[in-house]
Amino acid sequence: MRTLLLGATLALPLAMLAACVLRGLRERMLGWLAIAPLPGLAAALFAVDAAPLAFGGASVQLTFALDRPGALLLGVAALLWCAAGTYAASYFGGSPKAGRFAVCWLMALTGCLGVFVAADMVSLYALLGLLTLGSTGLVMHDDTPRARRAAAVYVGLALAGETLALMAFVMLATLTPGDSLLVRDAAAALPTSPHRDLTLALLVVGFGIKAGLAPLHVWMPLAHSAAPVPASAVLSGAVVKVGIIGLIRFLPFDAPLAAWGEPLAALGMFTALYAVAIGITQTHPKAVLAYSSVSQMGVVVAVLGMGMAAGDAAAPMLAAFYASHHVLVKGALFLVVGVVAATGTARVMPTLALATVLAAGLGGLPLTGGALAKFAVKDPLGDGLMGALGVVSAIGTTVLMLHFVVRLRANAAAEPPAAAPAGLFLPWLVMAIASIAVPWLLYYAAPLGVLPDPLAPKYLWEALWPVAIGAVLAAVLTRNADRLPRIPEGDIAVAIDAAARAAVIGSTRLESLDVVLRRWPAAGVSLLAVAIAIGAALVAAG
Amino acid sequence: MGAATPAGFLLPLALMAPLTGMLIAFALGGRYAHRVALATVPVGLALAIAIVIHLARSGEALEYLLGGWAPPLGVRLRADGLAAAMMLATAVIIGATALFAGPEFGARPDAPERRAPFAFWQLLLAVWGALNTVLLAHDLFTLFVALELLTFAGVPLVCLDGRGETLQAALRYLIFALAGSALYLVGVPLLYGTYGTLDISLLAMRIHVDHATVTATALMTAGLLAKTALFPLHLWLPPAHAGAPAPASTVLSALVIKGSFFVLVRLWFDVGLGSAAGAQLLAALGAGAIFFGNVVALRQARLKLLVAYSTVAQIGYLFLMFPLALSAGSTAADGAMALAGGLMQVISHAAAKAAMFMSAGLVYAALGHDRIAELAGVGRLMPMSIVAFALGGISLVGLPPSGGFLAKWLLLSVSAATGQWWWAAVMIVGGLLTACYAVLVVMRAMTAPAAPLVPKAEVPRASEAVALALAVCSVLLGFVAFLPIDLTAIGRPHSVVLGAQ
Repeated sequence: MRTLLLGATLALPLAMLAACVLRGLRERMLGWLAIAPLPGLAAALFAVDAAPLAFGGASVQLTFALDRPGALLLGVAALLWCAAGTYAASYFGGSPKAGRFAVCWLMALTGCLGVFVAADMVSLYALLGLLTLGSTGLVMHDDTPRARRAAAVYVGLALAGETLALMAFVMLATLTPGDSLLVRDAAAALPTSPHRDLTLALLVVGFGIKAGLAPLHVWMPLAHSAAPVPASAVLSGAVVKVGIIGLIRFLPFDAPLAAWGEPLAALGMFTALYAVAIGITQTHPKAVLAYSSVSQMGVVVAVLGMGMAAGDAAAPMLAAFYASHHVLVKGALFLVVGVVAATGTARVMPTLALATVLAAGLGGLPLTGGALAKFAVKDPLGDGLMGALGVVSAIGTTVLMLHFVVRLRANAAAEPPAAAPAGLFLPWLVMAIASIAVPWLLYYAAPLGVLPDPLAPKYLWEALWPVAIGAVLAAVLTRNADRLPRIPEGDIAVAIDAAARAAVIGSTRLESLDVVLRRWPAAGVSLLAVAIAIGAALVAAG
Repeated sequence: MGAATPAGFLLPLALMAPLTGMLIAFALGGRYAHRVALATVPVGLALAIAIVIHLARSGEALEYLLGGWAPPLGVRLRADGLAAAMMLATAVIIGATALFAGPEFGARPDAPERRAPFAFWQLLLAVWGALNTVLLAHDLFTLFVALELLTFAGVPLVCLDGRGETLQAALRYLIFALAGSALYLVGVPLLYGTYGTLDISLLAMRIHVDHATVTATALMTAGLLAKTALFPLHLWLPPAHAGAPAPASTVLSALVIKGSFFVLVRLWFDVGLGSAAGAQLLAALGAGAIFFGNVVALRQARLKLLVAYSTVAQIGYLFLMFPLALSAGSTAADGAMALAGGLMQVISHAAAKAAMFMSAGLVYAALGHDRIAELAGVGRLMPMSIVAFALGGISLVGLPPSGGFLAKWLLLSVSAATGQWWWAAVMIVGGLLTACYAVLVVMRAMTAPAAPLVPKAEVPRASEAVALALAVCSVLLGFVAFLPIDLTAIGRPHSVVLGAQ
């Protein structure tokens, strides 16, 4: 029974996707998006460590199972998909492109939730591909040049990441006992692989792209600010976590591996701080949030890196916990952007107040889920340099998130008495409450620790002072906002444009070469040369 | 007497069915050619299925001795797993093309007879018969005859519309293919003179390295590469494949070039003419094709030319299996896996490319042009065609569960197992470049048009459905990995079950 929930996690959204073949059902699918993630939610609650679901032939077997970090992320991701699906129904109600949106949404949803339950490398790769295709459609939904550019950068980098991961999968599959395709067996074979370093590099870059690790984070600010609000919420909240779960499942944590762990942690922390620095120059609230996501994923990777360096088997679960808080709070904050845009200045204050609490929560405001998340990763980050940088990143995050609230307020609707429709407001409220309450429930249900720890005055103070400093800095920043440089969304993505121009020049040369090669004399010479070269190769071998 | 194995009689039947259909169509005339072709399709398909079932049940290759004469005097037909799988794929794609071409080339018996439909149906059946002969022939001379038949059926398909530029393209194709034939034909007597037989199995037993063998191999390989249009011998392919009518492009790009490729596989893998260094060279040309073809495809302004250059690139992928199977470090299991991957690549590309050429042709017919920059709104006008194109692209890129993915997985596995990383890198880069143009086209088509798009001609929904069905086939082809038997390993020397090494 519990095993069937794993199948239903994929089967329901896939069935809904199949139903979209019929135009009539496709046009009406928008109203039903909220039910698609419900089996995933049920699986997260009831199917942890259930017997795996396997099907396939003798040579290839697809397997689905749910480990504890996966269950943590699956549950909160399903909750976000559900709330954002409800939100989307109201956001797009009556839109002629609703059918197309629903198809892309279901593809991305299936891929995203599926990755958390995929236990073999083939289905993992398949679901990552489905996720990429669906997400690309969501990013380019608005059909503006900006959305198309964002979608193009996104799909390019995402496919590149998947291909690198695929190469790693293939290399691991040749080492597993009995050619098992299970992720678990592959991860176990990794530390003793003769090509360990290459495989690790492929995995870190492949999944790192998905998680927005610098310098390959460029797609995230572009995509997450170009997508429609509900899509941004799931992309930034849930979808980036597939990179995290990939790292959690493949990287070795059982024995210390400082040569990889420490550089990874450094890269993660660099990402965390760098994204804050760029984020505070952004003016659009969604762009600010996207940089905050880059920064937060940097913290998660730093935690994983430190765990790898120390051989700390508890680190993956703590990192997953930190990431699951981010799923909830980032989803809620993206949803509030649409709520505030529909709410007039006369009514916006209560919403802004709640948003401020959530935003400060990401910096670690005491008693919020964010404080708990920061508390949970304190241990793996340690007391040394990484721990100190972690505190710096908390201060930076507070500054960034308060900057977000300022930008959010500027975005309120033009007519003062306007009120957001309930279809937008309620999902946001649910996510806001969930992002404060659910981490506490998870912390004790998982269980990650015992009650008195995070509530001790010592820890409350430790969490409070970085937020306080951040608040002061944010106030200073707001007064001096004009002096900041204007950095385009995606910062070094401009390098991609430059590379694209260079590629155009290069391809023009190749095209003129094609013209030459396709002339008769050249073709005749080629034919002769090929014959001689093959003969020479045969003689050389003989 | 006659059949060397029970049910061997299926082989000459499979060979004769399309050719008989062609002769009947010829006798009855253009008004009935369409019906004859449609009637031939189920017969040929049933024979192909019967052969596959026999192979799967018995686990052994089917053989038939023409006239009961054993080689080296007689002619042997043989269907191993490779041939059977290819026959089935050929039958499916020819059948799909016949359905697809109905609206374009279907003639009503009461309408006046036209030249193009009459020629098209005959040529379609001739291509089918020639391909079946290529797949079943087991001696180098019959293979030559079959290849010639294939070329002579393929060339007129290019210029069915009789326009000057397509005539020019067809002539280019003909002359270059002829050069290829000449090179092949020079090689045949060299081998016959040395070994006294042209039968593949007998040659395989006697083959050794000497001047005549090396010369013959080099000449025959170069000739076959010219017919396959492997970079840099691709001069004839883009204008021919892009200029032909859509159903003709489909057959040419999906099937005809695979005929000469298949003969090359027979020479290198079954006769044993190949060498490790030569295999590296072939794959290097393949890598050149992948990089060059994909980049030039991205530069194309017209959809059909883009698809044609994509074929130039995809031909390159077919040659990556040679070094993976034939390098010094490859075990028999690696070889079997590489061959299975290569065959999957051939079949998956055939289905995907057929679907893509069909979609491109439908877009051309509906808009009156196929300029990629002006495709905005096509996604809304003809969603089935664009979905078919996108699914074909997914298969070419190699996302699961497509056949392209299975092929890539197998080939990447062998390159990891034999330590030939450079070929893995080629596949990875090639896949990303392929994604670039697939995404480019689909994104353009999904864009909202400035003004509502009005089709110049009615879009034939049935033809769109055929393209979509083929695309779905190519995307689901990866599920053959779930089958309990590995067809490609049947009747092979050193046969090994897939995934059991």
